[in-house]
Amino acid sequence: MSIFRLGDQKPPEPRRVTDDVVERFAHVYEVEPEKMQTFPQQDLPAWDTHRIVAARWDHLSWMHDHFADDVLVAGLPSETMPEEEEAG
Amino acid sequence: MSVAFKSAVDDAVVDELRAIIGDDDRVLPNVSSRASRTRVPAPFPVHRWSEFMPDVAVLPVSAEEVSEVVKLANRLRIPVVPRAGGTGLSDGAVPLRGGICVDVKLMNKIHEIDLDDRTVTVGPGINMLKLNEELRPHGVFYPDDPASYPCSLVGGRIGTGGWSLLGSRFGHTRDLVISMQVVLPTGEIAEIGDGGGRKLRKSSTGLTLKQLFTGHQGTLGITTEATLELVPRPELEFAAFFAFDDYMKAHRTTGALTRSGLATLAGVVLFDEWKLRYLRRDDEAYIPQPPWVQAVVAVAMYGTRAEVEPASKVVMELGRADGGKYLGDEISEGDWASRHDRYATPLHGRTKDGQVVPMSWHCEDAALNYSVLPKVREEWHAIVERYIERYGIFDDWGMFCYTNGAYKPWADYLVEIDVGIWEQKLDDENWAGWVACKREIAEVALKHGGSITACHGATREGDAELVPTEMGSAWPVVKRIKRALDPNNIMNPGKQMLDEAYK
Repeated sequence: MSIFRLGDQKPPEPRRVTDDVVERFAHVYEVEPEKMQTFPQQDLPAWDTHRIVAARWDHLSWMHDHFADDVLVAGLPSETMPEEEEAG
Repeated sequence: MSVAFKSAVDDAVVDELRAIIGDDDRVLPNVSSRASRTRVPAPFPVHRWSEFMPDVAVLPVSAEEVSEVVKLANRLRIPVVPRAGGTGLSDGAVPLRGGICVDVKLMNKIHEIDLDDRTVTVGPGINMLKLNEELRPHGVFYPDDPASYPCSLVGGRIGTGGWSLLGSRFGHTRDLVISMQVVLPTGEIAEIGDGGGRKLRKSSTGLTLKQLFTGHQGTLGITTEATLELVPRPELEFAAFFAFDDYMKAHRTTGALTRSGLATLAGVVLFDEWKLRYLRRDDEAYIPQPPWVQAVVAVAMYGTRAEVEPASKVVMELGRADGGKYLGDEISEGDWASRHDRYATPLHGRTKDGQVVPMSWHCEDAALNYSVLPKVREEWHAIVERYIERYGIFDDWGMFCYTNGAYKPWADYLVEIDVGIWEQKLDDENWAGWVACKREIAEVALKHGGSITACHGATREGDAELVPTEMGSAWPVVKRIKRALDPNNIMNPGKQMLDEAYK
């Protein structure tokens, strides 16, 4: 059973990824806040961020299912980011 | 000659429409029903929407109702604009002169699934995703797959002459429609096929009319029923994405893949440097990619396991033969799935100083041959850069080149430059600027022996005025056909410069 604790819903402090992007959760990227001065970013609780990410994956899986019985992949690691594949 | 040039809808006409339709809930003269049929998703100045409202919308459920509505319009010289999903990117379903919007969404029935002769017969208001959900238990598939797959409708695909992501394998909309029933501009109902039989794919009798009634943008009639191709549902999908440090390596690899002879090849997509710059800035899949990634080639295949498994190994060899690096399973699988549904993506862009602002997606397309892709890419980006500098409300989101030849992927491409537009800032001056930009982009396509549109249609300002130039010596023939079929210019008047047929 999971217990909802309000304090757990505050996103962690961001880590800079590039000049344009920060990261609060693994593989979830956000625009650098300094570049959102005209339209400030709204605060999202952690659960909402996780919900959006999960919904996106659900959607992509659902789309795949419309086009073929099975999806084949090469089964090879990324050759552009090998260190990340190994870490993952 | 008297032709429809402005709205003539009054209470008496609405009463006649109610008598034809026989259900007041399907005759809609109220403002909200009209306003929601005023535009398409492509950016357009909000303050000008009211200029493009139909005077009344009707929702017929049969060809006979459509026929009677069109006969009424023809008698009274009232413009008629057919509308299906309204998801087109070039204003095909936007009324330029008011009139009657014939919305076919309620004509969404599956009339027949024929598993022996491999056809499905449907109304024009059905959506491909829904259709395929019904077909799935039968082990068959209707493989028309636009980027609007979850929301566009069969009738709009036929009217626009749509392009499919899987077109290299299965053909595009015009290849997948076997025959159709069309209400002509004078109200007659005609069965249009490749000859006589409704389910025949090839005939040599008489004139081949089917192509004339796909891609006419509602200017020659309204499709009220279509008999479509069924293919075996694919057992397997395979997608692979390759990164390159140089655009020309990616261009050569695209050529090699398309010339591979692999019959299951459904599509190859080339992403240019500007696209990668945009994706690395604003797309979660590409943000962490290293700076040397300057171009990407994506490949997708569909078919039986016996075909796709060995072919996937050939793709992996070809994709990496000229310096390509595999982007990994997750991005290959996930990014390809997202291509079926580009309309679900919330969009933002950047101002010149890098600030994030809400922007809408304007996708400017052309059909071009393989050999000119590198040059056109340079010229198109230079044009957009000038307009970004001058107006400050545009953002260059890069270019894609998709294989465009049905069953013959090797020579021509649907080429798109995606431009973000800060739609809230579209006043008259900024809109005029964008139209000029569009026109310059289209002129480059013509200069390089291309077409100004591969799939969206030349029905938006900036493209439309170039239709006679592109058609060249065929333009007088086009005008004669339009005038012969639509003597009063009631069908979607004002589109594609076809008013010239009546001068």
